Amino acid sequence: MKDQAFFEGLMAEAAICAYCGYCRAVCPTYAGVGWESCSPRGRIQLTRLLLEGTPLTRDQMTRLYQCTLCGHCTQVCPTRIDLRRFWLEARKQTVARELSPQGLAAARDNVAKTGNVYGYPNDERAGWVEYMNDAPADLYQRDQAGVVYFVGCSSSFSPRVQHIAESFVRVLDAAGVDFTILGEGEVCCGFPLLAAGMHDQAQAVIEHNLERVRAIGATTIVFNCPACRMMWLEEYARHLPGVRLLHSTELLAELTAAQRLPMKDVNRIVTYHDPCDLARNSGVYDAPRAVLAAIPGLQLVEVHERRERGLCCGGGGDLEMVDTALSGRVAARTVSKLAGTGAQTIVTACPQCVRTLTRGAEQTAPDVTVKDIVELLDEALDR
Amino acid sequence: MPLTQLAGIPADRVTEDAIERKLYSRDLASVPAIMVKPFFRTLPDAVIRPGNAEQVAETIRQAARERIPVTPRAAASTSYYNSVPVRGGWVLDVNDLRDGIELDTERQTVRVLPATTWFDLDDVLQQKGFAVKSYPSSAVSATVGGWVSMQGHGMGSLKYGGVGEQLVSLQVALPSGELVTVTRESDPPLDWFVAAEGTLGVITQVELTVRPRPAAESHHLFAFDDLNTLGRNVVSLACAEPRPFTIFFADSGYLRLLARAGFHIPLDLPQSHFPVSEKGLLLVSFQGEPSEVNQGKDRLTRVAGCELSSDLALEEWNLRLYHLRAKRAGPSLLAAESWLPIDALHHYLKSVRTLAERSRLLIGTYGLAVAPNMALVMSLYPTDERHTVKYLAALGFTKRLHDLAARYGGRPYGVGLWNSAYLPRLFSRTRLDELKRRKARLDPSGIMNPGKLYQAPFPLWPITFGIGATVLGAAHIALGREGP
Repeated sequence: MKDQAFFEGLMAEAAICAYCGYCRAVCPTYAGVGWESCSPRGRIQLTRLLLEGTPLTRDQMTRLYQCTLCGHCTQVCPTRIDLRRFWLEARKQTVARELSPQGLAAARDNVAKTGNVYGYPNDERAGWVEYMNDAPADLYQRDQAGVVYFVGCSSSFSPRVQHIAESFVRVLDAAGVDFTILGEGEVCCGFPLLAAGMHDQAQAVIEHNLERVRAIGATTIVFNCPACRMMWLEEYARHLPGVRLLHSTELLAELTAAQRLPMKDVNRIVTYHDPCDLARNSGVYDAPRAVLAAIPGLQLVEVHERRERGLCCGGGGDLEMVDTALSGRVAARTVSKLAGTGAQTIVTACPQCVRTLTRGAEQTAPDVTVKDIVELLDEALDR
Repeated sequence: MPLTQLAGIPADRVTEDAIERKLYSRDLASVPAIMVKPFFRTLPDAVIRPGNAEQVAETIRQAARERIPVTPRAAASTSYYNSVPVRGGWVLDVNDLRDGIELDTERQTVRVLPATTWFDLDDVLQQKGFAVKSYPSSAVSATVGGWVSMQGHGMGSLKYGGVGEQLVSLQVALPSGELVTVTRESDPPLDWFVAAEGTLGVITQVELTVRPRPAAESHHLFAFDDLNTLGRNVVSLACAEPRPFTIFFADSGYLRLLARAGFHIPLDLPQSHFPVSEKGLLLVSFQGEPSEVNQGKDRLTRVAGCELSSDLALEEWNLRLYHLRAKRAGPSLLAAESWLPIDALHHYLKSVRTLAERSRLLIGTYGLAVAPNMALVMSLYPTDERHTVKYLAALGFTKRLHDLAARYGGRPYGVGLWNSAYLPRLFSRTRLDELKRRKARLDPSGIMNPGKLYQAPFPLWPITFGIGATVLGAAHIALGREGP
C-alpha cells in the first residue's frame, strides 16, 4: 500500500495499531523466529508494556532489536504507522531504561573511541587504497573536490567488501569524476548508534563528518552504503543546503546516461536484490536497474519479490550485532529466493547486503556469487 | 502437566514466558481487563508452536490425556476472541504450517498448509497461471485454514461462493490426536469443520479448487447521492450475469472516517458530518475472459450512479485489502459485522444513517455483496481505548448495530466468544443441537477451543448481555457525541 506514513508518538501509534498482523506476514525476522513477540505487532505491544511500566527483562526487550528496520511492515500497515520511526523511538526508550542488548554498548564505545563500529584504529580507514595496484599518489585524498565519496565503515574495514570501495574509485576515475575520499577524517555516519536507540551519542560523529565535508567544499556526496545515505538525508542534509546526497547507483546512472563509462560486453545472467534502505525505505528502484541495463551483454532476471516487495538480506538495523544467527537465517532465505531465478550472480547495491548475502549463499547456494553493482561495473569497464 | 514431559515437541517450540503468553491473549479486539479478567482465563499456560501436522496431533493427544484446553491460533485476525483462550491451557500457534503449495493444474486444485496467507497463496498461483477463487478482505494476514474455520466469505464469493464450496478435502488433527483426511463423503464430513472455529480439531492441510488466472479485469466506481438507489443497484448487480467478481459499497460515514484519518477520498463531502450525507460509493469489479468482462461492463450502463474515473476505480480496487486504514480516525475503531439479506441493504444503510443522525455519532458502513441474496456489512465507529469508561460504553454500542441488522433479517458474522451473546440469532435450536452433537462426538472431553461457539458464558447470557450492552450503548450515545 503506497501512501504517506504517520507517527504521532509511541503510545498513540500503539493504540492505532489494529493488531491485524499484516506486518507479521511480511516480517523477515518473525519468519526466522516464529514467536509473536518477534512480530512487529508483538513488538508494538512490548513497547506499550515498557512504557506502561511493566517489568521487562533485557532478554525480552531484545525482541525490539531482532528487526532489520527493513521497512516492509510500514509498507503494508493498513493504519499507516511509520514503523521504522516507531522502532527507532522504541529503542531509544529501551536504552533509557538500560534494557538494550549489551553487544550494542560495545559498538557505541568503539565509535566513541575509534570512530568506527569495529573498533579498528581509524587511521586504517583508507588502508584499502594502499593495497590497490593502480591507486594515484594522493591515494584519492584531495583538499578540494566536487564530489566526496563517503566510504562508510563496512567498505573501509570489512575485507569482503573493501573491493566495493576499490571498484567504485576506479569507476569514478574512469568517468573523470573530480572526487575525494576523507580517509581517516571520515568517521562512522552514526546510523548504527541511531539504530541502537543511542541518538545522543550519534551527534558527535555527525558534527565531525559535517565539518570535514564542509572543508572540502563539495557539491555532491556519494555513498555506496544505503544506510549511510539515509542517515545523511535524515540527519545531515538540513545542515548542507544545496549539497546533493546520492547513492552510488544514482551517480552511476547519470554517468552511464552521459556515456562517460566505456564498457565492454559482459556475458552474464544476474538477478538484482533491492537493498531495503535504498529501495523500500528511500524509493530508489530505477537507478540501479538503469545501470545494469547499460552494461552490454548483461542479462537481468528479476526475482518475483522485488522493488517495494523486495526481500531483506538480514543485515540491517544492527541485527548482525545483536543476533548473528538470525541475520544468517534471513540471508539464507533471501538467497534461496534469488538463486531460484537461475542467475549465477546476485547483484545488489549495498556493502552490508553483499556481506550477509555472501554468508547466506555459502549456506544455501554455494555456486552463486554475490557482487555489488559497482564491482560488476568495474569488471565491465573497457579500459 | 510439566511441559518437559511434552513428548515429540522440541523444547524450543514451547514457551511459558509470561510476556510471550500475554501477547497470545488478544486478537484484533482490544478489550479492557475489567470485561475479561473476572470471567475468562485469557492468559494461556503455555504456547506451543508445532512444526508439522504430526506435532499438532501429538500435542492435542497429550492435551486430551490431561484434559488441557487447546486453542488453535494462526493470524488471530478476527476480533471475537476465536483464537484467544478463555479457559487457559495451551495455545497452539500453527503458523509454522505454511506454504507447502502443491498445484494440480489438470484438476485445478491446490493443496496448501493452513497458515499460508491468502495473499501468498494467490501470489504463488498467479505466477503459475492460476488464482484463488475468493479471499478475505484481510488476505495479507488471514490464513487459509483460519478462513475455512470461520465463515469464509469475502472478495470473489459473489461469483464463486464461500470458501466452503471450494473445498475438496481437509486434513485435520482431531481432539483424539488422530490425523485424518476428510472429504464431503467421509465420516465425519468436511462440512463439519467449516466455520467450526477450531472447536472440532485443527486443520493441518487444505485442498481447494482454483481458477485460471483471469485474462481480463475491469473496475468501475460509482458515486450515489442517495442510499436507496445505492442499495437497489447493489441488489440488481449482485444477481446480474455475468456475475461481477466483487461488489463493494460504502456510505458517507465510512468515507468521512477515512478523511478524518488523513486519507484521500474520491467524493466531496460537506464540511460538517451533520446532517449525515446520503452519498455513497459503489465499486464493481469484473474478472474473467475478456468477452465476459466486456459483457459485464456493458451492463453497467444501467447503473443509476455517476461513474467516476477509471483511475479512481483502480485506486479503490488497490485499497480493497486496506479498509482498516480508517482506524487512524480512532485511534480505536469498534465494529459490528453482519450477514444481511441483500434486498434489505438500503433499509439497513438508511437506518444506520438515521441512528448516526439522531445520536450525533460518526458511524461508517462498508460491505460486500457475497451472494446474489446476501451482503456482508461492517458498521464501524471511532472511539479511544485509552479512556476506559468511554471505551466500555462504546463496546456496548455494537449491540445497537447488531440489533439494527437483526431488524432486517441480519445476523452477526462469526461467533467466537463475544458474538456467543447472539446465539439465538445465529442458529436455530435444531441447528445448534446438531452442532452440539458433533462437538460431543468428536471432542467428548471438550478440550478444543472451549468456551466458544456453542454456549454463551455467564456475562454473555442473552439477558445479562442485553441489559448491560443496552445501558452501555446508551452511555456511548451520551459520551460519544460528535461536536457541532
